[in-house]
Amino acid sequence: MSEITLGARRPVIVRRRRWRIPGAAIPYLFLAPATLWYAAFLVYPMLQSLYVSFFDWDGLSPSMTFVGLENYINIFAVDDVARLALWNNILWTLGALVLPTLFGLLLALALNRRAPASTLFRTIFYSPAVLPLVAVGLIWAWMYNPHFGVVNVTLKAVGLRSWANGWLSDYTMALPATFVTFIWSHVGFPMIFYLAGLQAISKEYYEAATIDGANAFQRFRHVTMPGLAETHVIVLSLAVINGFKVFDLVYTMTYGGPGRSTQVLGTWMYFQTFQYYHAGYGSALAWVIAAIVLVIAIPYIRRMSRG
Amino acid sequence: MRGLRIFAATALAGLVAFSAGAEAKDTLRLMTVFDAPTVKLWEPVLAAYNAANPDIEVKMETVAGSGAAVYPDVLRTSMASGDPPDVFFMWGGEIAGPFIKAGQVEPLDAYYEKYGWDKVVAPWTIDRITRDGHKYGVPFHARGMGLWYRVDLFEKYGLSEPKTYADLANICATFKKDGIYCASFGGKFGWQTMRLLDYFTETTCGPEEHDKLNTLQSSWNQPCVVAAYDRMAQWVKDGWLVPDFLNVAPNDARMAVYSGDAAMVFEGGWFEGVLKSDEQPMENFKFFLPPTDHTPVRYSAFPEQWMIPTSSKHKDQAAAFINWMTIPDTQKQYPEAFTASATIGVESDCTVAPRDCEWKKLLTSDSATYPPTDQAFTKELIDGFFEVQDGVVAGKIAPADAAAQMQAKAEAWKAKQKS
Repeated sequence: MSEITLGARRPVIVRRRRWRIPGAAIPYLFLAPATLWYAAFLVYPMLQSLYVSFFDWDGLSPSMTFVGLENYINIFAVDDVARLALWNNILWTLGALVLPTLFGLLLALALNRRAPASTLFRTIFYSPAVLPLVAVGLIWAWMYNPHFGVVNVTLKAVGLRSWANGWLSDYTMALPATFVTFIWSHVGFPMIFYLAGLQAISKEYYEAATIDGANAFQRFRHVTMPGLAETHVIVLSLAVINGFKVFDLVYTMTYGGPGRSTQVLGTWMYFQTFQYYHAGYGSALAWVIAAIVLVIAIPYIRRMSRG
Repeated sequence: MRGLRIFAATALAGLVAFSAGAEAKDTLRLMTVFDAPTVKLWEPVLAAYNAANPDIEVKMETVAGSGAAVYPDVLRTSMASGDPPDVFFMWGGEIAGPFIKAGQVEPLDAYYEKYGWDKVVAPWTIDRITRDGHKYGVPFHARGMGLWYRVDLFEKYGLSEPKTYADLANICATFKKDGIYCASFGGKFGWQTMRLLDYFTETTCGPEEHDKLNTLQSSWNQPCVVAAYDRMAQWVKDGWLVPDFLNVAPNDARMAVYSGDAAMVFEGGWFEGVLKSDEQPMENFKFFLPPTDHTPVRYSAFPEQWMIPTSSKHKDQAAAFINWMTIPDTQKQYPEAFTASATIGVESDCTVAPRDCEWKKLLTSDSATYPPTDQAFTKELIDGFFEVQDGVVAGKIAPADAAAQMQAKAEAWKAKQKS
């Protein structure tokens, strides 16, 4: 860059120093704002909570007491509710792996065709997925109300009075009843993923299989399922991650009750940190959840990176 | 270039003038749990204070409808981030405990001396908010709870308000015989069911022992506690309570009473306002204090209070504002904003709010009260109490085991405090 300065007898050429950014640094410059944001609002709080997890702290006082690994040991060795919550998370995750995934796949197969109302049905089945889970939880809690909820009213109206139940008040039914809501609200995600996966499978494979005499089941077994391999990884990994992160539905529908029967790690972490003022112990619980999710998420991320 | 300089100078001058103007007024932040109608009622109150105090502007922030489950979280976050309000609403008892223990709440003993608040508000409310000999808050509301009943159902079956526990049991048996549930409860969160269990404990253990249980000076593993749990189990077993209520939201428990399927709910003085907003005929609802078979008949009651954070920069102004809200002269001007007030000598308008008027007389008299257990225990311990209570209601824990389990929880909690 140069500039001619006027007013002098002879034109003077002023050379300004030109800053050059090495080409290799340019991508990092573009990444810097996002990285700083990520570091400030995700990495730093995470590391801070890891630090807090080694202390006994009420979250309010200026002083904290170092307790080493005691919080982590207590989760597995002393705290019965934490162990129950972990077990509930495992059950929930197993259910999340099978049921919404299976229903999502079946819906995707049914809607992966040029039918007049297929777009409408895709919208209908996906729409619960965009609703806030707190609202979903409150609506379903009303539906399960033993006195005036639509579930019991309908059962009684169709002559199934003996099936009517105090769904969320029953120690054995509360978690499965909450899980039904989870299926309803989450079936749209796998359906959309599987629909995308199905549309990526070339029709030529099906035509070739048909010419070779394969029936519908054989086409599904040998063409559709291998074609959806990548989608399975995404859907199943997300199901496990969501299963361990569950909080909203349990908090709004059962508040961890009756008793402690529906506590999961997410709600127990919340209770410990915010209700019982055990910020150190709550942080340790948060890191146990994070560790479990990371163990599952890393293969997913690696697979995705390769793709 | 000259134009640019003039513009910059003008902008700077404007900014300085604006800042100076803004700094001339101190802002007092008032944090509450008021809902939208209450906020509306409070607008003229705050406007009057701001008009009378031109150097101060009180601004209300509200965490509406969240209740004791969420509001303390919001407050805690504001304190932890070093940006607390100057005055905040708080329930009585142990809900305030963690904030006081963490040194986040200013002791107000000096202000009590300055403003003479102990002579202005009902004495029992001050006892309840006193902790380790210090007064950390100023009682604002005095809330009492009793059994609200459907007048038409009582008249239909020739029943009258009970004088003894046996009378109450007879009323429930009569309703059950006629296919009506005696009472409706919402067991979600535990605290509504607790009101019934607290009442049973008051009847079976008596006032003195009940107080000792609440302060963990007596063992929960004793016959009178077993008897209280036994009554709870019996009420469920006999079908006196609307069934399957353990995870019903407390607000939804009223539906069975409105529909006439149940005769009573255990609610506080605020229930009059609820009945009005739910468009229920007020003349069809009355309340009585559940008979305890002890003298005096104590009932469940609790104060709500105003507190000042230690880190507030405007403590003196905050105390002056609390004083202005607390004195009868102010409250008499805005009776609708100060229903259920703990201030002595402020009568409710009995034609507008007849039930509130009755409660007001009771709560500012020398009547005896006991605290709800969720204000006597910390949240951690009360959740253990709710766990046992749910187990009894569900028939999973026998009354004798429940008493033993409750005592074990109390001992574990005490050991934790010591460590």
